[in-house]
Amino acid sequence: MSAQLKIVSRMEGADVAVLALAGEVDVANATQVREAGLKLISDGVKRLVIDLSETEYMDTSGLGTLVGLQKRIKESGGEILLAALQPRVMRPFEITGLTSVFKLYDDVGSAVKEARS
Amino acid sequence: MTTTAPDCIELRIPRRAEFVRVARMAACAIAAQLGFTYDLMKDIELAIGEACANAVEHVSHPSSDDILVRFTVEPTQLVVEVIDRGQGFDPAQQEGLDWALPGGLGLVVIDKVMDDLHVSCDPETGTCVRMIKYRTGG
Repeated sequence: MSAQLKIVSRMEGADVAVLALAGEVDVANATQVREAGLKLISDGVKRLVIDLSETEYMDTSGLGTLVGLQKRIKESGGEILLAALQPRVMRPFEITGLTSVFKLYDDVGSAVKEARS
Repeated sequence: MTTTAPDCIELRIPRRAEFVRVARMAACAIAAQLGFTYDLMKDIELAIGEACANAVEHVSHPSSDDILVRFTVEPTQLVVEVIDRGQGFDPAQQEGLDWALPGGLGLVVIDKVMDDLHVSCDPETGTCVRMIKYRTGG
């Protein structure tokens, strides 16, 4: 019954990774996103691109998870970059004002290019 | 003149995170049935999801085993009530911006996407999040 979510990660360099979230991120599976992100950070990733191009839904549980990952990666001098937010996912970000917490990119390629620069 | 009682749809889900999606899906189906636009339908889905997530995450009470989601269809508005028998939550006592955003932030989202919001907490009857979305042209 858990929300459908597919999490795929890939490295884009020594300390750059992309974490793609396809489906719905909600209270039922936000911890899976947290664990996947923490694993990459513990493996030495400094700049983590979150690919939201196929994310169809995100509630404040998901937002909180991304804020937590941002906080954690900043402790090691890194940062989270959000890419390709769809309108329905952008909506809760804008309402809560959390768009100011992250760097936002229109597409994954632009975010990866920035992360590797 | 005769009056017709509003249509009422009730959904009772286990108070577990994996069932919040069921309430969201019901909200989408009912909103679509009533002719809400896609964007308004997704706003209603978001609001019901946040209300149910709050009930799951921030209410702890031994007798609170399920959540009642009641949709009342009135001529000019859709009323949605998310009711649980828990003791409610104090947003000020929730965790900070770490892994869990404060329950109050979910209410901020609901307040923004719905036309009216009222939260009542009663030790006897539990917590009720009552939300209204106007039916334009209804």
